[in-house]
Amino acid sequence: MNETYDFDWDDLGNLEVGRPNLGCWASLLAYRLMQYTFRDVLSKEVGLDKTLELFIQAGKLAGRNFCLQVLDKSLGFEPFIADLKQKLIDLKIGVLRVEEADLEALTFVITVSEDLDCSGLPIFGQTVCNYDEGFIAGIFFEYTGRDFHVKEIDCWATGDRTCRFNIKPA
Amino acid sequence: MEAGALVILRQLDQSLARIMKRGIGYERLTLSLDCPDNSDPELRDICDRLNSLFSTLDEFYQYASQLAEGNLEASASRNNIFAMPLKSLQASLRHLTWQAGQVASGDLQQQVHFLGELSHSFNRMILSLREKQSLEKRLKTITDVLGEGVYLLDQERRLIFMNPEAERLLGYGFDELAGKRIHEFIYGQHGDGTRFNPSSSPLIISLTEGREFKDPDAVFICKSGYLLPVAVICRPILENNRHAGTVIAFHDITEQKKSQESLEAVNRILEKQASTDPLTGILNRLKLSQQLDTEMKRAKRYATPLSILLLDIDNFKSVNDGYGHLTGDAVLKEMAHLISGKLRDSDIFARWGGEEFMILIPDCDISQAKACAEKLCRAIAENPFSVSTPVTASFGVAGMRPEDTHESLTNRADQALYLAKQNGRNRVECG
Repeated sequence: MNETYDFDWDDLGNLEVGRPNLGCWASLLAYRLMQYTFRDVLSKEVGLDKTLELFIQAGKLAGRNFCLQVLDKSLGFEPFIADLKQKLIDLKIGVLRVEEADLEALTFVITVSEDLDCSGLPIFGQTVCNYDEGFIAGIFFEYTGRDFHVKEIDCWATGDRTCRFNIKPA
Repeated sequence: MEAGALVILRQLDQSLARIMKRGIGYERLTLSLDCPDNSDPELRDICDRLNSLFSTLDEFYQYASQLAEGNLEASASRNNIFAMPLKSLQASLRHLTWQAGQVASGDLQQQVHFLGELSHSFNRMILSLREKQSLEKRLKTITDVLGEGVYLLDQERRLIFMNPEAERLLGYGFDELAGKRIHEFIYGQHGDGTRFNPSSSPLIISLTEGREFKDPDAVFICKSGYLLPVAVICRPILENNRHAGTVIAFHDITEQKKSQESLEAVNRILEKQASTDPLTGILNRLKLSQQLDTEMKRAKRYATPLSILLLDIDNFKSVNDGYGHLTGDAVLKEMAHLISGKLRDSDIFARWGGEEFMILIPDCDISQAKACAEKLCRAIAENPFSVSTPVTASFGVAGMRPEDTHESLTNRADQALYLAKQNGRNRVECG
């Protein structure tokens, strides 16, 4: 545990060169298999609460890098959200939709349908998109320079057909 | 157990029959199966599940009804398995509501994804709005740089747009004029600044009648009260052959008027120069020839008499030789001034050349002309000119004959003048 790893976008590698035949798309099954087995193993190692906290932290790191590498921070809020929506669709992460936006208070309610993490899951009775919470918080942090608290209030796993997130300054 | 199951099935059938007959909306979709206390535990479980199913269906029905009424805040239990597809629709509708608000406030970045035909229609609408916005921007750029003031009126003739040049020219900002009727801020003016009655203003009338109106020489009153000369054009906007508004374009013609006025002044001067003898200020020979033609035509047409007097200053060479040309010029001026003062307004007096003058007297026969010439002859002889030697003049008079031309008439006057010289000068002879 003495050694640590610092994430670098370049570590994702050159997908086109690396997979000339299979291309850059993989099965959602493979993604979920990795995520939920991580969840299993980590929860047994460090407990479920700590596991969820780690997922949020990892998601936030991903969100910040995603914003820096994929999105255009110079855009105004409306075109930024439009760009974000399109990129999330292009990368097949989910269908982001805004339900409420208060640009003065910086509070938002957004939904993500066909979410990578949960759509089609059985009803667990609790939200499971912790990685998404962090991912969204990371994007908003990079875009606004402020910390945000993102809480998933509805999830496929709680019986809804779309994930709904409350976003407000931390 | 079979008897208990039969009882439950009968209760279920009665409830369903009632619901299917009267409809769900009439009463709640509830089912309360009474399970005998002593019934089998498995039967009680079945009863509980059926009660729960109906309760879930009832909640779903209430939830769907609220959504159908447009209540996007409606909610259903998380474990309501029937409500799940509607929850997805509800989320989409809430997003659409937000998007509609965004579009209304000018955000044309919105796109609807994965909602079938609704997505296509919405996205087409956004594309159309973007094109319209782009066109509006281009038009705004054009009107911003245009050297014309532009007002756009709606069909009620209320102002809905104006460009910066219109503000610059008349001094009114858009905030001051937005929604005002045209006659409240564009005053139809006469050239002298007096206002038209709105009901008689050609501009307002043409706007009312939906006609095009042009006035290259109109006057608008500025906010400051300054009268601005403008060239204005109003053109109706037709949509589906109905009057949908009006465009008014106008520009300042102050400079144009100034240059036009100065040009007119120059032209007047040039015209005067072309027809005036520069030394004496009376008409020159060219102008008199034109006038003679005109008067001869008039006299022939109306059969009225016309006479001409040709006079020559006697011994003028001796004046020039004795007193110099400047004094000679002074005598010519004095002569012109003297004769001018003794003629009628209708008489035409010109310098014919050198020291010769001609007088054209319309509506005057030769005897009257001779009398006039003798009167002038005496007046000249009696006039104290600026030279010490006496100044006299000889006169040749000719009356127009029907067959006369310009040349024949003037020739006779010239011959008569020659005769007057021959006969001793300072006298009148008729030809």
